[in-house]
Amino acid sequence: MVAGVAAFVAWLGASLVVLGDGRRALAFGVFLAAAGMTVIAWQSAGPVAAAAIATGGALAAVRRFGSGPDGWRIMPPGSTPRLVLCVAGGLIVLWIAAAVTTGAGASLRFTVMVIAGFSGARVLASEDASVLLTATSMLALVVALASAFGDGSGLWPYFGAAVIAAGAGWLPHRTARAT
Amino acid sequence: MQPESAVLLVFAAVALAFAVTFNPLSISRGALLLKGGTGLAASAAIAAVPTFDLVLLILLTLGVLHAAIDGRRAFAVRLRAPIVAVATLAVALVFAHAQGPDELQRFAAVGLVAGLAAAVGLMPYMHPLDPEEPMTSSPIPWIAFVGPVLAAVVVARAQQMLAPDAGGVFGGMLIGLGLLNIAWGSIAAWLTESEVAAWRYSFVADWGLVLCGFGLTLADGGRAALLILFSIVVGRLPLYVVSRQALRDKAVAQRPINFVVAGALAGSAPFVGFVARILLLRAATQLYWPLALALALGMLLWLPGSLRLGRSLAVPRGRQAIGVALVLAVNVAAGLYPLPILLAARL
Repeated sequence: MVAGVAAFVAWLGASLVVLGDGRRALAFGVFLAAAGMTVIAWQSAGPVAAAAIATGGALAAVRRFGSGPDGWRIMPPGSTPRLVLCVAGGLIVLWIAAAVTTGAGASLRFTVMVIAGFSGARVLASEDASVLLTATSMLALVVALASAFGDGSGLWPYFGAAVIAAGAGWLPHRTARAT
Repeated sequence: MQPESAVLLVFAAVALAFAVTFNPLSISRGALLLKGGTGLAASAAIAAVPTFDLVLLILLTLGVLHAAIDGRRAFAVRLRAPIVAVATLAVALVFAHAQGPDELQRFAAVGLVAGLAAAVGLMPYMHPLDPEEPMTSSPIPWIAFVGPVLAAVVVARAQQMLAPDAGGVFGGMLIGLGLLNIAWGSIAAWLTESEVAAWRYSFVADWGLVLCGFGLTLADGGRAALLILFSIVVGRLPLYVVSRQALRDKAVAQRPINFVVAGALAGSAPFVGFVARILLLRAATQLYWPLALALALGMLLWLPGSLRLGRSLAVPRGRQAIGVALVLAVNVAAGLYPLPILLAARL
């Protein structure tokens, strides 16, 4: 039950990142996504992994809150495809994670697939550096979460993902906007 | 670390040393060494880490750092391919390990091939190219410097992750994508207007052979893939580096050296590309002879593009002439006696 709620919160956060263009929406979105991933990481890899995800997500959210386009800018004109992506994408991934695949860890599967998919889609549909780097942070955190499927690389993926998620926000905008 | 990846890392180090020593453009060799060294270190980390998720994190880091280098293409344009690659590979990881119907593993195979193509910059995910862009911030480092090690790692991990049935699907997809890249790359290298774009398409065509070699899953296929990767990293990439000044000056020449370079790029005897092609055809014949026929026809398409690229080198002089001679000598040596490379990679 807790994992299911956490997966829903993660989807909500990722959807906010997809739907919003302003720094508040992006910061709150990555914060929510990281909160959901933290709970799932706690269950799959323990408290230290969860702390790493939480720290990385929090730093990414704080940094995003301080830079980027002002305000929330949720669902600006022309964002219907993004809304369809969030709803339809979420439902399809839910079907795959809960019905097509079997065994324990449906919440983990759902979270990894939905955040990886939304991050990739967001990057394809935006030119703004703050949006791209927020999606990058989210993707880094979820790749660490996916390490639970592997042969076991310990806590290194979580630490690495936290560093990438936190550091991506500090990438210099001068170079980030280079053309 | 796998022997094949270690050998490819050595090739990349040699290519970096060549680029720093023989780059004809007036750029900072220190900056080139720093950027190339970062790419080399990331490649070494990709080859050395024990799990696939760590590979993805390193790939993501490298993608962000590469996108942040000053360049002509927009940050978003440069970041897209690595992010899409990591996202696709992450979803493939889930499918590969999830319990459920057999089709999941096949989807995992699709994701692994698509992620690899997006990361390296192959059809159908070719990275946008700006002919005026510096080489370090262009797609070339992905396709000719980092890509070979990444491909070897992804293919090896796929063989571990996927069941035999899905492994067959993975191999089939690699061969199909390889044929597509052979046709697209070689024809585009011949017909495209820009000389820089022609060079990039020639890398794509070579990668088509690499994918076919990996997909054949026979010993000769793996050997062919390694030797073609050698010809990319230690042959085509250094020749491209040397040609940068002539490309900028839009100078062309039709001296004997240009025809020799064209021969090396086309994979003619006695260069290493010839041995690789023979091994590839032998493996394809063992598996399914019409595939060998298709590959042989595809290999003929290298000739016009290679003649064009050979001319685009103009007449190398001074240090560049030494560099070209060195590259040709190394490629002839590897073509005449490839056994040490294959033994080092344990193939």
